Amino acid sequence: MRKDIEIIKLIFKTQLVWRFDIAANVLFTISKIVFAYIVWSAVFGEKEMIAGFTFHTMLSYYIISSFLSQLDMSERIGWDISSAIRGGTFSKFMVLPINTERYFIARTIGASAFHLLFHLIAAVIWIFIFQIRFAFTGDIYMLLSAACFVIIGLLFMMQLNYMLGILTFQFGNIDVFLMIKSTLVSFITGTLVPLILLPASIVAFMRVFPFYYITYLPSMLLIGQNRDEIITGIITLSLWVLAFVPVNKLLYHRLRVRFDGVGI
Amino acid sequence: MNIIETKNLTKTFQRFQKEPGLKGSMKGLFKRKYLMKSAVSDFTLTVEEGEFIGLIGPNGAGKTTLIKMLTGIIAPSNGEISVAGHYPNKLENSFKRQYAVVMGQKSQLFFELSANDTFLLFKELYNIPEDEYRKNLDYFIALFGVTDILDVQVRTLSLGERMKLELIVALLHNPKILFLDEPTIGLDAVAQKQIRKFLKEVNETKGTTIILTSHYMEDIKSLCKRCVVINEGKKLFDGDTDLLFKKYQTHKKVTVSFVQEDHFTSEIDFIPLEKSPYKTTLLIKKELSQELLKDLLVRYELDDISIEEEDIGNVVERIYNDKSGVSE
Repeated sequence: MRKDIEIIKLIFKTQLVWRFDIAANVLFTISKIVFAYIVWSAVFGEKEMIAGFTFHTMLSYYIISSFLSQLDMSERIGWDISSAIRGGTFSKFMVLPINTERYFIARTIGASAFHLLFHLIAAVIWIFIFQIRFAFTGDIYMLLSAACFVIIGLLFMMQLNYMLGILTFQFGNIDVFLMIKSTLVSFITGTLVPLILLPASIVAFMRVFPFYYITYLPSMLLIGQNRDEIITGIITLSLWVLAFVPVNKLLYHRLRVRFDGVGI
Repeated sequence: MNIIETKNLTKTFQRFQKEPGLKGSMKGLFKRKYLMKSAVSDFTLTVEEGEFIGLIGPNGAGKTTLIKMLTGIIAPSNGEISVAGHYPNKLENSFKRQYAVVMGQKSQLFFELSANDTFLLFKELYNIPEDEYRKNLDYFIALFGVTDILDVQVRTLSLGERMKLELIVALLHNPKILFLDEPTIGLDAVAQKQIRKFLKEVNETKGTTIILTSHYMEDIKSLCKRCVVINEGKKLFDGDTDLLFKKYQTHKKVTVSFVQEDHFTSEIDFIPLEKSPYKTTLLIKKELSQELLKDLLVRYELDDISIEEEDIGNVVERIYNDKSGVSE
């Protein structure tokens, strides 16, 4: 555990070096809130409710879900592993006495922790300035469940991106996989639009897959909705995470022997 | 006791051969031609604990591939391999804690942070107890004299400074074996000398087994009692370094700059390498070098003169052509 904490700290420190990057990230959070405010004001117009959402619950949903999706820095794992394998620099991770998946997960947690802190500060300030009536639930059970979904969900995304990254051993180039995954994920996690706006049959189908529980469900729980989906959601998401443990282990074990370390 | 043992170790790579041009690229989309390249072939080697061995050979000889197999980065295609009692490509953590590898272009330092930050990470990764960490760090810092740069952002350091810190990171956990792939490449003479001194001291005081690849003859000559010459994946020589250089490094490389335009000629037998109106580079047999110098000083007005050991490639070529066989 101390190894992981040291990696997390190191990445956190790395992010702090770039002051302009921090400022740009804060501005990005602000612009998202402003954009959401303008768009949803126009969409709601005179209407009180859309698909069970009031203007403020919709805005709360959007801010929470985009905040959660920004926290997910797992995409870097896929790109970093892929470029390290192709450039031959992956060897520097192979020689360290730590499981490579664990190493990359700790790195991503470090980056996410940094974003959590700075985005949270920016979001709170701007919610206060815009005087958004944040529709946060007061139900502790729902709040804790949402936190569980976020943690397990992020872990799953890291596993998924790690798996895609190590496919580079086999395919040499996985840019297309990563781009397709990125587009699909932003749609099926409900980051673009609340999944409730989609047909019920599609939503039911999505519940089988983990993506539903990564951004959408925790966002809904935080605004006090979908309480009855907690137990099945936690079980489904956990099963996906557990399933990926042996899959990634086996894939890495099988595929890494193809590494020729070119570029050294 | 042998810490490294390989027997008939072989590594073959499959390389995609693309025909030139757009047509060739299109063809390659549907049908690919692969070439098999044997990077290391039937390589047998034993290394005793505490030895300092030089691996020499021209570019593409198979030195780095051998190091990659010994550290477990790549899997051998054939043959037997044992390093510190482990099969390297299993990549067990217990094995990885026993060695360190420094490759010129594969830095373990975090460029945005200071070296101290990376040291702390390695302390945890290798479970180094606090007192041992402190003791080692103090020892290496004093040996290299790098106190002033420990808190400086790594990316702003010079290549030589970075290499010193890279070596400290690698040695913090007291590895039994240290693999070094071209550690002095691109460094100036002063930094090279400091690194050589450092490595020598580590080998002598800590008993660390060191396997070094280098293009610089000086690295090998001053550090390694034993050296192994590789070419085209095969072992050409394995034995005493002094013997190797005495027998096969028969020439000196002389570079002369003239004050004014001149054409160098001499009755003494030499091999011209490069010739321009103001500069001549040549190879001369060691025993004739003194005579040549005298001749140069008497007959020409010299601006500068340098005498170097001849390139590693020539030595390898001579061993290769020596039909008397591989020396042991």
